[in-house]
Amino acid sequence: MEALGIEWPLLIAQIINFIILMLLLRAFLYKPVLNMLNARKERIAQSMKDAERASAAAREAEADKAKVLDDARREAQEIRAQATRDAEKIAGDVRARADQDATEIRMKAQADAQKQAEVALSDANKQIADLAIMATEKLLGRELQNKAEQHRFVTEFLAESAGSKGK
Amino acid sequence: MGKKIKDALWGTTTRKVWTIVVAVLFVASLIIPFTYPVSPPHVALSGEQIFADGPAWLTNTVLTTIIVDIIILLLALITRFTLRMVPGGVANFMEMVVEGLYGLSESVAGKNATKFFTWSMTIFLFVIVANWSGLIPGVGSIGFYQPVEPVEELEEVIDEEHGQAPVDAGAVAGNGFRWDAQLAMAGGNLILAAPESIQAAPVAAEEGAHEKFVPLFRAPSADLNVTFALALSTMFMVQVWGVRFLGGSYFRKFFTFSGPNLFMKFINAFVGILELISEVARILAFGFRLYGNIFAGEIVLATMTFLFAFLLPVAFYGLEVFVGFVQALVFMMLSLVFFQMATIGHSGDHDEHH
Repeated sequence: MEALGIEWPLLIAQIINFIILMLLLRAFLYKPVLNMLNARKERIAQSMKDAERASAAAREAEADKAKVLDDARREAQEIRAQATRDAEKIAGDVRARADQDATEIRMKAQADAQKQAEVALSDANKQIADLAIMATEKLLGRELQNKAEQHRFVTEFLAESAGSKGK
Repeated sequence: MGKKIKDALWGTTTRKVWTIVVAVLFVASLIIPFTYPVSPPHVALSGEQIFADGPAWLTNTVLTTIIVDIIILLLALITRFTLRMVPGGVANFMEMVVEGLYGLSESVAGKNATKFFTWSMTIFLFVIVANWSGLIPGVGSIGFYQPVEPVEELEEVIDEEHGQAPVDAGAVAGNGFRWDAQLAMAGGNLILAAPESIQAAPVAAEEGAHEKFVPLFRAPSADLNVTFALALSTMFMVQVWGVRFLGGSYFRKFFTFSGPNLFMKFINAFVGILELISEVARILAFGFRLYGNIFAGEIVLATMTFLFAFLLPVAFYGLEVFVGFVQALVFMMLSLVFFQMATIGHSGDHDEHH
Protein backbone atom coordinates (compact mmCIF):
# COMPACT_ATOMS: atom_id res chain seq x y z
CA MET A 1 0.00 0.00 0.00
CA GLU A 2 2.70 2.41 1.02
CA ALA A 3 4.68 1.64 -2.08
CA LEU A 4 1.73 2.78 -4.17
CA GLY A 5 1.40 5.93 -2.13
CA ILE A 6 -1.88 5.04 -0.50
CA GLU A 7 -2.14 6.79 2.84
CA TRP A 8 -5.35 6.42 4.78
CA PRO A 9 -5.53 9.99 6.11
CA LEU A 10 -5.17 11.36 2.59
CA LEU A 11 -7.66 8.86 1.22
CA ILE A 12 -10.26 9.68 3.86
CA ALA A 13 -9.64 13.37 3.28
CA GLN A 14 -10.38 12.81 -0.40
CA ILE A 15 -13.63 11.01 0.45
CA ILE A 16 -14.68 13.89 2.67
CA ASN A 17 -13.67 16.34 -0.05
CA PHE A 18 -15.78 14.48 -2.56
CA ILE A 19 -18.82 14.41 -0.30
CA ILE A 20 -18.55 18.13 0.48
CA LEU A 21 -18.14 18.89 -3.22
CA MET A 22 -21.18 16.75 -3.97
CA LEU A 23 -23.36 18.51 -1.41
CA LEU A 24 -22.26 21.95 -2.63
CA LEU A 25 -22.82 21.02 -6.26
CA ARG A 26 -26.24 19.63 -5.46
CA ALA A 27 -27.21 22.88 -3.80
CA PHE A 28 -25.64 25.23 -6.34
CA LEU A 29 -25.71 23.37 -9.61
CA TYR A 30 -27.96 20.35 -9.98
CA LYS A 31 -31.05 21.55 -8.18
CA PRO A 32 -31.19 25.03 -9.73
CA VAL A 33 -30.32 23.77 -13.19
CA LEU A 34 -32.78 20.90 -13.13
CA ASN A 35 -35.48 23.18 -11.70
CA MET A 36 -34.73 25.70 -14.41
CA LEU A 37 -34.84 23.02 -17.08
CA ASN A 38 -38.18 21.80 -15.76
CA ALA A 39 -39.56 25.33 -15.54
CA ARG A 40 -38.43 26.02 -19.08
CA LYS A 41 -39.90 22.76 -20.30
CA GLU A 42 -43.22 23.61 -18.68
CA ARG A 43 -43.13 27.09 -20.09
CA ILE A 44 -42.40 25.85 -23.57
CA ALA A 45 -45.19 23.31 -23.27
CA GLN A 46 -47.50 26.08 -22.07
CA SER A 47 -46.49 28.34 -24.95
CA MET A 48 -47.01 25.53 -27.40
CA LYS A 49 -50.44 24.89 -25.94
CA ASP A 50 -51.28 28.59 -26.13
CA ALA A 51 -50.10 28.76 -29.69
CA GLU A 52 -52.14 25.70 -30.50
CA ARG A 53 -55.18 27.25 -28.91
CA ALA A 54 -54.65 30.54 -30.71
CA SER A 55 -54.27 28.83 -34.03
CA ALA A 56 -57.37 26.75 -33.32
CA ALA A 57 -59.25 29.95 -32.52
CA ALA A 58 -57.97 31.51 -35.70
CA ARG A 59 -59.07 28.46 -37.65
CA GLU A 60 -62.49 28.66 -36.02
CA ALA A 61 -62.77 32.34 -36.80
CA GLU A 62 -61.79 31.62 -40.36
CA ALA A 63 -64.44 28.94 -40.57
CA ASP A 64 -67.00 31.32 -39.03
CA LYS A 65 -66.07 33.97 -41.52
CA ALA A 66 -66.44 31.54 -44.38
CA LYS A 67 -69.80 30.42 -43.04
CA VAL A 68 -71.04 33.97 -42.60
CA LEU A 69 -69.87 34.88 -46.07
CA ASP A 70 -71.54 31.80 -47.45
CA ASP A 71 -74.80 32.58 -45.66
CA ALA A 72 -74.69 36.16 -46.87
CA ARG A 73 -74.04 35.05 -50.40
CA ARG A 74 -76.84 32.53 -50.31
CA GLU A 75 -79.21 35.06 -48.81
CA ALA A 76 -78.26 37.62 -51.42
CA GLN A 77 -78.85 35.05 -54.10
CA GLU A 78 -82.23 34.24 -52.63
CA ILE A 79 -83.18 37.88 -52.43
CA ARG A 80 -82.08 38.39 -55.99
CA ALA A 81 -84.02 35.36 -57.14
CA GLN A 82 -87.06 36.57 -55.23
CA ALA A 83 -86.68 40.01 -56.72
CA THR A 84 -86.34 38.55 -60.18
CA ARG A 85 -89.41 36.44 -59.59
CA ASP A 86 -91.37 39.43 -58.28
CA ALA A 87 -90.25 41.61 -61.13
CA GLU A 88 -91.22 38.94 -63.60
CA LYS A 89 -94.57 38.59 -61.96
CA ILE A 90 -95.13 42.34 -61.99
CA ALA A 91 -93.96 42.52 -65.55
CA GLY A 92 -96.33 39.70 -66.43
CA ASP A 93 -99.20 41.48 -64.71
CA VAL A 94 -98.37 44.73 -66.38
CA ARG A 95 -98.10 43.02 -69.73
CA ALA A 96 -101.35 41.19 -69.19
CA ARG A 97 -103.14 44.34 -68.22
CA ALA A 98 -101.61 46.19 -71.12
CA ASP A 99 -102.68 43.41 -73.41
CA GLN A 100 -106.14 43.56 -71.96
CA ASP A 101 -106.28 47.30 -72.30
CA ALA A 102 -104.96 47.10 -75.81
CA THR A 103 -107.54 44.49 -76.68
CA GLU A 104 -110.25 46.55 -75.16
CA ILE A 105 -109.11 49.65 -76.98
CA ARG A 106 -108.75 47.73 -80.17
CA MET A 107 -112.16 46.20 -79.79
CA LYS A 108 -113.67 49.54 -78.98
CA ALA A 109 -111.91 51.10 -81.95
CA GLN A 110 -113.08 48.26 -84.07
CA ALA A 111 -116.62 48.71 -82.84
CA ASP A 112 -116.38 52.44 -83.41
CA ALA A 113 -114.95 51.91 -86.83
CA GLN A 114 -117.63 49.41 -87.65
CA LYS A 115 -120.26 51.75 -86.38
CA GLN A 116 -118.84 54.62 -88.40
CA ALA A 117 -118.52 52.40 -91.39
CA GLU A 118 -122.12 51.35 -90.92
CA VAL A 119 -123.18 54.96 -90.50
CA ALA A 120 -121.09 55.91 -93.55
CA LEU A 121 -122.53 52.99 -95.49
CA SER A 122 -126.08 53.84 -94.52
CA ASP A 123 -125.44 57.48 -95.37
CA ALA A 124 -123.92 56.42 -98.66
CA ASN A 125 -126.85 54.10 -99.31
CA LYS A 126 -129.26 56.91 -98.56
CA GLN A 127 -127.45 59.29 -100.85
CA ILE A 128 -127.13 56.65 -103.53
CA ALA A 129 -130.83 55.99 -103.17
CA ASP A 130 -131.53 59.71 -103.39
CA LEU A 131 -129.25 60.02 -106.38
CA ALA A 132 -130.79 56.99 -107.96
CA ILE A 133 -134.28 58.44 -107.53
CA MET A 134 -133.12 61.82 -108.74
CA ALA A 135 -131.52 60.19 -111.73
CA THR A 136 -134.65 58.21 -112.43
CA GLU A 137 -136.82 61.34 -112.09
CA LYS A 138 -134.58 63.17 -114.41
CA LEU A 139 -134.77 60.33 -116.80
CA LEU A 140 -138.51 60.13 -116.61
CA GLY A 141 -138.89 63.84 -116.55
CA ARG A 142 -141.37 63.76 -113.81
CA GLU A 143 -141.56 63.30 -110.18
CA LEU A 144 -142.06 59.87 -108.69
CA GLN A 145 -145.24 59.55 -106.64
CA ASN A 146 -144.32 57.20 -103.93
CA LYS A 147 -140.90 58.58 -103.24
CA ALA A 148 -140.61 56.95 -99.86
CA GLU A 149 -141.46 53.54 -101.28
CA GLN A 150 -138.81 53.92 -103.94
CA HIS A 151 -136.23 55.06 -101.49
CA ARG A 152 -136.81 52.10 -99.28
CA PHE A 153 -136.61 49.78 -102.18
CA VAL A 154 -133.23 51.06 -103.31
CA THR A 155 -131.83 51.05 -99.87
CA GLU A 156 -132.89 47.47 -99.34
CA PHE A 157 -131.27 46.49 -102.54
CA LEU A 158 -128.01 48.17 -101.59
CA ALA A 159 -128.06 46.64 -98.20
CA GLU A 160 -128.60 43.23 -99.74
CA SER A 161 -125.75 43.62 -102.15
CA ALA A 162 -123.51 44.88 -99.42
CA GLY A 163 -124.51 41.90 -97.29
CA SER A 164 -123.76 39.44 -100.03
CA LYS A 165 -120.48 41.17 -100.75
CA GLY A 166 -119.62 41.11 -97.02
CA LYS A 167 -120.07 37.36 -96.94
CA MET B 1 1.77 16.59 -57.96
CA GLY B 2 4.95 18.41 -57.00
CA LYS B 3 3.28 21.66 -57.78
CA LYS B 4 0.38 20.76 -55.54
CA ILE B 5 2.69 20.02 -52.62
CA LYS B 6 4.58 23.25 -53.23
CA ASP B 7 1.32 25.16 -53.25
CA ALA B 8 0.13 23.47 -50.06
CA LEU B 9 3.33 24.39 -48.23
CA TRP B 10 4.29 27.66 -49.86
CA GLY B 11 1.10 28.95 -51.52
CA THR B 12 0.11 31.88 -49.35
CA THR B 13 1.83 33.96 -46.72
CA THR B 14 0.02 32.08 -43.94
CA ARG B 15 1.16 28.77 -45.34
CA LYS B 16 4.73 30.02 -45.62
CA VAL B 17 4.71 31.07 -41.97
CA TRP B 18 3.31 27.72 -40.91
CA THR B 19 5.83 25.78 -42.94
CA ILE B 20 8.68 27.77 -41.47
CA VAL B 21 7.37 27.38 -37.90
CA VAL B 22 6.93 23.63 -38.27
CA ALA B 23 10.35 23.22 -39.86
CA VAL B 24 12.05 25.26 -37.12
CA LEU B 25 10.29 23.25 -34.40
CA PHE B 26 11.25 20.01 -36.09
CA VAL B 27 14.90 20.96 -36.37
CA ALA B 28 14.91 22.33 -32.83
CA SER B 29 13.50 19.03 -31.55
CA LEU B 30 16.30 17.18 -33.29
CA ILE B 31 19.05 19.49 -32.01
CA ILE B 32 17.96 20.06 -28.40
CA PRO B 33 19.01 16.62 -27.00
CA PHE B 34 22.54 17.16 -28.29
CA THR B 35 23.05 20.80 -27.41
CA TYR B 36 21.07 21.25 -24.24
CA PRO B 37 20.70 18.08 -22.18
CA VAL B 38 17.17 17.93 -20.74
CA SER B 39 16.26 16.19 -17.53
CA PRO B 40 14.43 12.93 -18.07
CA PRO B 41 10.74 13.09 -17.22
CA HIS B 42 9.72 13.17 -13.61
CA VAL B 43 7.93 10.01 -12.69
CA ALA B 44 6.41 9.53 -9.27
CA LEU B 45 3.84 6.89 -8.47
CA SER B 46 2.03 9.02 -5.95
CA GLY B 47 1.63 12.52 -4.70
CA GLU B 48 4.58 13.99 -2.86
CA GLN B 49 4.95 16.37 0.00
CA ILE B 50 5.50 19.79 -1.51
CA PHE B 51 7.51 21.45 1.21
CA ALA B 52 10.15 19.33 2.87
CA ASP B 53 9.65 21.16 6.16
CA GLY B 54 5.93 21.76 5.68
CA PRO B 55 2.99 19.66 6.79
CA ALA B 56 3.09 16.05 5.66
CA TRP B 57 -0.48 16.10 4.41
CA LEU B 58 0.16 18.94 1.99
CA THR B 59 1.02 16.88 -1.06
CA ASN B 60 0.86 18.22 -4.56
CA THR B 61 -2.24 16.07 -5.12
CA VAL B 62 -4.03 17.73 -2.23
CA LEU B 63 -3.15 21.19 -3.56
CA THR B 64 -4.38 20.33 -7.05
CA THR B 65 -7.52 18.72 -5.64
CA ILE B 66 -8.34 21.97 -3.89
CA ILE B 67 -7.78 23.87 -7.14
CA VAL B 68 -10.00 21.42 -9.00
CA ASP B 69 -12.69 21.90 -6.34
CA ILE B 70 -12.43 25.65 -6.72
CA ILE B 71 -12.74 25.44 -10.52
CA ILE B 72 -15.84 23.25 -10.29
CA LEU B 73 -17.42 25.37 -7.58
CA LEU B 74 -16.73 28.55 -9.54
CA LEU B 75 -18.43 27.04 -12.56
CA ALA B 76 -21.34 26.01 -10.38
CA LEU B 77 -21.65 29.42 -8.75
CA ILE B 78 -21.42 31.27 -12.06
CA THR B 79 -24.10 28.97 -13.40
CA ARG B 80 -26.23 29.42 -10.32
CA PHE B 81 -26.24 33.20 -10.51
CA THR B 82 -26.49 33.64 -14.25
CA LEU B 83 -29.28 31.12 -14.66
CA ARG B 84 -32.03 32.76 -16.71
CA MET B 85 -35.12 31.65 -18.53
CA VAL B 86 -33.35 32.55 -21.76
CA PRO B 87 -30.05 30.69 -21.43
CA GLY B 88 -26.63 32.02 -22.38
CA GLY B 89 -22.90 31.80 -21.72
CA VAL B 90 -21.46 29.55 -19.04
CA ALA B 91 -24.89 28.78 -17.60
CA ASN B 92 -26.03 27.53 -20.97
CA PHE B 93 -23.01 25.26 -21.28
CA MET B 94 -23.43 23.85 -17.78
CA GLU B 95 -27.13 23.37 -18.37
CA MET B 96 -26.27 21.42 -21.49
CA VAL B 97 -23.81 19.24 -19.54
CA VAL B 98 -26.23 18.64 -16.68
CA GLU B 99 -29.12 17.93 -19.01
CA GLY B 100 -27.06 15.61 -21.19
CA LEU B 101 -25.77 13.60 -18.24
CA TYR B 102 -29.20 13.53 -16.65
CA GLY B 103 -30.53 12.03 -19.87
CA LEU B 104 -27.71 9.48 -19.76
CA SER B 105 -28.52 8.64 -16.13
CA GLU B 106 -32.15 8.21 -17.03
CA SER B 107 -31.27 5.86 -19.86
CA VAL B 108 -29.32 3.67 -17.43
CA ALA B 109 -31.27 3.95 -14.20
CA GLY B 110 -34.74 4.84 -15.42
CA LYS B 111 -36.87 6.31 -12.66
CA ASN B 112 -34.06 5.90 -10.10
CA ALA B 113 -32.03 8.48 -12.03
CA THR B 114 -33.10 11.29 -9.72
CA LYS B 115 -31.63 9.41 -6.74
CA PHE B 116 -28.35 8.44 -8.39
CA PHE B 117 -27.86 11.63 -10.36
CA THR B 118 -26.10 13.63 -7.64
CA TRP B 119 -23.47 10.94 -7.24
CA SER B 120 -22.87 10.14 -10.85
CA MET B 121 -22.85 13.78 -11.93
CA THR B 122 -20.38 14.77 -9.21
CA ILE B 123 -18.16 11.84 -10.12
CA PHE B 124 -18.20 12.92 -13.75
CA LEU B 125 -17.48 16.59 -13.04
CA PHE B 126 -14.76 15.91 -10.50
CA VAL B 127 -13.05 13.21 -12.53
CA ILE B 128 -13.10 15.08 -15.82
CA VAL B 129 -11.73 18.29 -14.33
CA ALA B 130 -9.17 16.27 -12.36
CA ASN B 131 -8.13 14.41 -15.50
CA TRP B 132 -7.78 17.54 -17.56
CA SER B 133 -6.00 19.41 -14.78
CA GLY B 134 -3.01 17.21 -15.51
CA LEU B 135 -2.91 18.56 -19.05
CA ILE B 136 -2.51 22.18 -18.03
CA PRO B 137 1.04 23.23 -18.92
CA GLY B 138 3.05 23.53 -15.74
CA VAL B 139 1.26 20.78 -13.86
CA GLY B 140 3.92 18.20 -13.18
CA SER B 141 6.71 20.35 -14.56
CA ILE B 142 6.81 23.31 -12.19
CA GLY B 143 8.21 22.36 -8.81
CA PHE B 144 11.06 22.42 -6.36
CA TYR B 145 14.26 20.50 -5.82
CA GLN B 146 14.38 19.03 -2.38
CA PRO B 147 17.20 17.37 -0.59
CA VAL B 148 16.85 13.63 -0.46
CA GLU B 149 16.26 12.40 3.04
CA PRO B 150 17.74 9.01 3.66
CA VAL B 151 14.80 7.73 5.71
CA GLU B 152 12.16 8.99 3.33
CA GLU B 153 10.53 6.46 1.14
CA LEU B 154 12.00 7.06 -2.25
CA GLU B 155 10.49 5.94 -5.46
CA GLU B 156 12.62 7.86 -7.82
CA VAL B 157 15.40 10.30 -7.89
CA ILE B 158 15.83 12.62 -10.74
CA ASP B 159 19.03 14.25 -11.83
CA GLU B 160 19.17 17.73 -13.09
CA GLU B 161 21.88 16.75 -15.51
CA HIS B 162 21.32 14.26 -18.23
CA GLY B 163 21.69 10.74 -16.98
CA GLN B 164 25.04 9.19 -17.69
CA ALA B 165 24.99 5.46 -17.69
CA PRO B 166 21.83 3.39 -17.76
CA VAL B 167 21.67 1.10 -14.78
CA ASP B 168 21.29 -2.56 -15.33
CA ALA B 169 17.90 -3.19 -13.80
CA GLY B 170 18.60 -6.82 -13.15
CA ALA B 171 21.71 -6.01 -11.21
CA VAL B 172 19.89 -3.50 -9.05
CA ALA B 173 16.76 -5.49 -8.41
CA GLY B 174 18.56 -8.72 -7.87
CA ASN B 175 17.53 -11.86 -9.64
CA GLY B 176 13.88 -12.60 -10.03
CA PHE B 177 10.69 -10.84 -9.14
CA ARG B 178 9.92 -9.72 -5.63
CA TRP B 179 6.51 -8.76 -4.29
CA ASP B 180 7.83 -5.72 -2.53
CA ALA B 181 9.84 -4.52 -5.51
CA GLN B 182 9.38 -0.88 -6.22
CA LEU B 183 9.54 1.25 -9.29
CA ALA B 184 12.53 3.49 -9.33
CA MET B 185 14.01 5.95 -11.71
CA ALA B 186 17.66 5.61 -12.43
CA GLY B 187 19.58 7.42 -15.09
CA GLY B 188 16.40 8.23 -16.97
CA ASN B 189 15.18 4.64 -16.90
CA LEU B 190 12.31 3.19 -14.92
CA ILE B 191 13.50 0.16 -12.99
CA LEU B 192 12.06 -2.29 -10.54
CA ALA B 193 14.18 -2.51 -7.45
CA ALA B 194 14.01 -4.11 -4.05
CA PRO B 195 13.17 -1.68 -1.27
CA GLU B 196 16.50 -1.99 0.44
CA SER B 197 18.46 -1.29 -2.71
CA ILE B 198 16.13 1.37 -4.00
CA GLN B 199 17.92 4.17 -2.25
CA ALA B 200 21.25 3.04 -3.39
CA ALA B 201 20.46 2.33 -6.99
CA PRO B 202 19.60 5.72 -8.37
CA VAL B 203 21.96 7.53 -6.11
CA ALA B 204 24.73 5.21 -7.11
CA ALA B 205 23.81 5.60 -10.71
CA GLU B 206 23.87 9.31 -10.60
CA GLU B 207 26.77 9.94 -8.28
CA GLY B 208 26.05 12.88 -6.13
CA ALA B 209 22.41 13.51 -6.98
CA HIS B 210 21.19 14.49 -3.56
CA GLU B 211 18.14 16.34 -4.63
CA LYS B 212 14.85 15.18 -5.92
CA PHE B 213 12.37 17.09 -7.98
CA VAL B 214 8.90 17.59 -6.52
CA PRO B 215 6.28 19.13 -8.78
CA LEU B 216 3.96 21.71 -7.28
CA PHE B 217 0.86 20.28 -8.93
CA ARG B 218 -0.24 16.78 -9.73
CA ALA B 219 -3.44 15.68 -11.41
CA PRO B 220 -5.65 14.20 -8.66
CA SER B 221 -6.62 11.29 -10.90
CA ALA B 222 -2.97 10.29 -11.05
CA ASP B 223 -2.96 9.58 -7.34
CA LEU B 224 -4.30 6.33 -5.92
CA ASN B 225 -5.54 8.12 -2.81
CA VAL B 226 -8.03 10.00 -4.95
CA THR B 227 -9.09 7.19 -7.24
CA PHE B 228 -9.53 4.80 -4.34
CA ALA B 229 -11.40 7.41 -2.38
CA LEU B 230 -13.86 7.61 -5.29
CA ALA B 231 -13.89 3.84 -5.76
CA LEU B 232 -14.47 3.05 -2.09
CA SER B 233 -17.18 5.62 -1.62
CA THR B 234 -18.90 4.57 -4.82
CA MET B 235 -18.91 0.89 -3.91
CA PHE B 236 -20.02 1.81 -0.40
CA MET B 237 -22.93 3.69 -1.90
CA VAL B 238 -23.74 0.65 -4.04
CA GLN B 239 -24.27 -1.30 -0.81
CA VAL B 240 -26.29 1.58 0.65
CA TRP B 241 -28.61 1.72 -2.35
CA GLY B 242 -28.93 -2.05 -2.30
CA VAL B 243 -30.03 -2.07 1.32
CA ARG B 244 -32.30 0.91 0.83
CA PHE B 245 -34.11 -0.71 -2.08
CA LEU B 246 -34.13 -4.36 -1.05
CA GLY B 247 -33.68 -4.16 2.71
CA GLY B 248 -31.77 -6.96 4.42
CA SER B 249 -32.47 -9.31 1.54
CA TYR B 250 -29.85 -7.42 -0.44
CA PHE B 251 -27.16 -9.37 1.36
CA ARG B 252 -28.67 -12.69 0.26
CA LYS B 253 -26.83 -11.96 -2.94
CA PHE B 254 -23.60 -12.65 -1.05
CA PHE B 255 -24.57 -15.06 1.71
CA THR B 256 -27.04 -17.58 0.49
CA PHE B 257 -27.60 -21.25 1.06
CA SER B 258 -30.78 -21.79 -0.87
CA GLY B 259 -31.67 -24.15 -3.67
CA PRO B 260 -33.86 -27.11 -4.52
CA ASN B 261 -31.23 -29.66 -3.44
CA LEU B 262 -27.96 -29.83 -1.59
CA PHE B 263 -25.92 -29.54 -4.77
CA MET B 264 -27.66 -26.34 -5.82
CA LYS B 265 -27.34 -25.00 -2.29
CA PHE B 266 -23.58 -25.33 -2.47
CA ILE B 267 -23.51 -23.89 -5.97
CA ASN B 268 -25.49 -20.85 -4.81
CA ALA B 269 -23.29 -20.43 -1.76
CA PHE B 270 -20.27 -20.49 -4.03
CA VAL B 271 -21.88 -17.95 -6.37
CA GLY B 272 -22.44 -15.73 -3.35
CA ILE B 273 -18.74 -15.89 -2.51
CA LEU B 274 -17.94 -15.03 -6.12
CA GLU B 275 -20.27 -12.02 -5.89
CA LEU B 276 -18.43 -10.91 -2.77
CA ILE B 277 -15.10 -11.21 -4.53
CA SER B 278 -16.37 -9.37 -7.57
CA GLU B 279 -17.55 -6.55 -5.33
CA VAL B 280 -14.03 -6.17 -3.99
CA ALA B 281 -12.62 -6.52 -7.49
CA ARG B 282 -14.81 -3.65 -8.60
CA ILE B 283 -13.20 -1.37 -6.03
CA LEU B 284 -9.77 -2.31 -7.32
CA ALA B 285 -10.87 -2.00 -10.95
CA PHE B 286 -12.41 1.41 -10.34
CA GLY B 287 -9.35 2.67 -8.53
CA PHE B 288 -6.70 1.32 -10.84
CA ARG B 289 -8.53 1.97 -14.11
CA LEU B 290 -8.70 5.70 -13.58
CA TYR B 291 -5.28 5.94 -11.98
CA GLY B 292 -3.64 3.80 -14.63
CA ASN B 293 -5.12 5.70 -17.55
CA ILE B 294 -4.27 9.15 -16.28
CA PHE B 295 -0.90 8.31 -14.79
CA ALA B 296 0.12 6.48 -17.94
CA GLY B 297 -1.07 9.41 -20.02
CA GLU B 298 1.11 11.77 -18.03
CA ILE B 299 4.13 9.53 -18.45
CA VAL B 300 3.47 9.22 -22.18
CA LEU B 301 3.28 12.99 -22.55
CA ALA B 302 6.40 13.54 -20.46
CA THR B 303 8.32 10.87 -22.35
CA MET B 304 7.26 12.16 -25.74
CA THR B 305 8.25 15.66 -24.78
CA PHE B 306 11.58 14.34 -23.54
CA LEU B 307 12.24 12.41 -26.74
CA PHE B 308 11.05 15.00 -29.25
CA ALA B 309 10.31 18.32 -27.70
CA PHE B 310 7.91 19.80 -30.24
CA LEU B 311 5.19 18.58 -32.64
CA LEU B 312 5.15 14.94 -31.54
CA PRO B 313 3.47 15.55 -28.14
CA VAL B 314 0.60 17.39 -29.85
CA ALA B 315 -0.94 14.16 -31.10
CA PHE B 316 -0.66 12.56 -27.68
CA TYR B 317 -2.07 15.67 -26.07
CA GLY B 318 -5.23 15.30 -28.14
CA LEU B 319 -5.36 11.65 -27.20
CA GLU B 320 -5.06 12.46 -23.49
CA VAL B 321 -7.88 15.00 -23.68
CA PHE B 322 -10.03 12.25 -25.15
CA VAL B 323 -8.87 9.67 -22.60
CA GLY B 324 -9.65 12.11 -19.77
CA PHE B 325 -13.20 12.51 -21.04
CA VAL B 326 -13.72 8.81 -21.66
CA GLN B 327 -12.43 7.84 -18.21
CA ALA B 328 -14.76 10.32 -16.53
CA LEU B 329 -17.66 8.96 -18.53
CA VAL B 330 -16.69 5.36 -17.81
CA PHE B 331 -16.42 5.98 -14.07
CA MET B 332 -19.80 7.67 -14.08
CA MET B 333 -21.53 5.05 -16.22
CA LEU B 334 -20.11 2.12 -14.27
CA SER B 335 -21.13 3.66 -10.96
CA LEU B 336 -24.64 4.17 -12.35
CA VAL B 337 -24.79 0.61 -13.61
CA PHE B 338 -23.64 -0.76 -10.25
CA PHE B 339 -26.13 1.44 -8.40
CA GLN B 340 -28.89 0.22 -10.66
CA MET B 341 -27.83 -3.42 -10.39
CA ALA B 342 -27.87 -3.17 -6.60
CA THR B 343 -31.51 -2.07 -6.66
CA ILE B 344 -32.60 -5.17 -8.57
CA GLY B 345 -33.03 -8.34 -6.58
CA HIS B 346 -30.81 -11.32 -7.23
CA SER B 347 -31.97 -13.13 -10.34
CA GLY B 348 -31.96 -16.47 -8.54
CA ASP B 349 -34.40 -15.20 -5.93
CA HIS B 350 -36.55 -13.82 -8.67
CA ASP B 351 -36.88 -17.15 -10.38
CA GLU B 352 -37.83 -18.92 -7.17
CA HIS B 353 -40.67 -16.54 -6.48
CA HIS B 354 -42.31 -17.18 -9.81
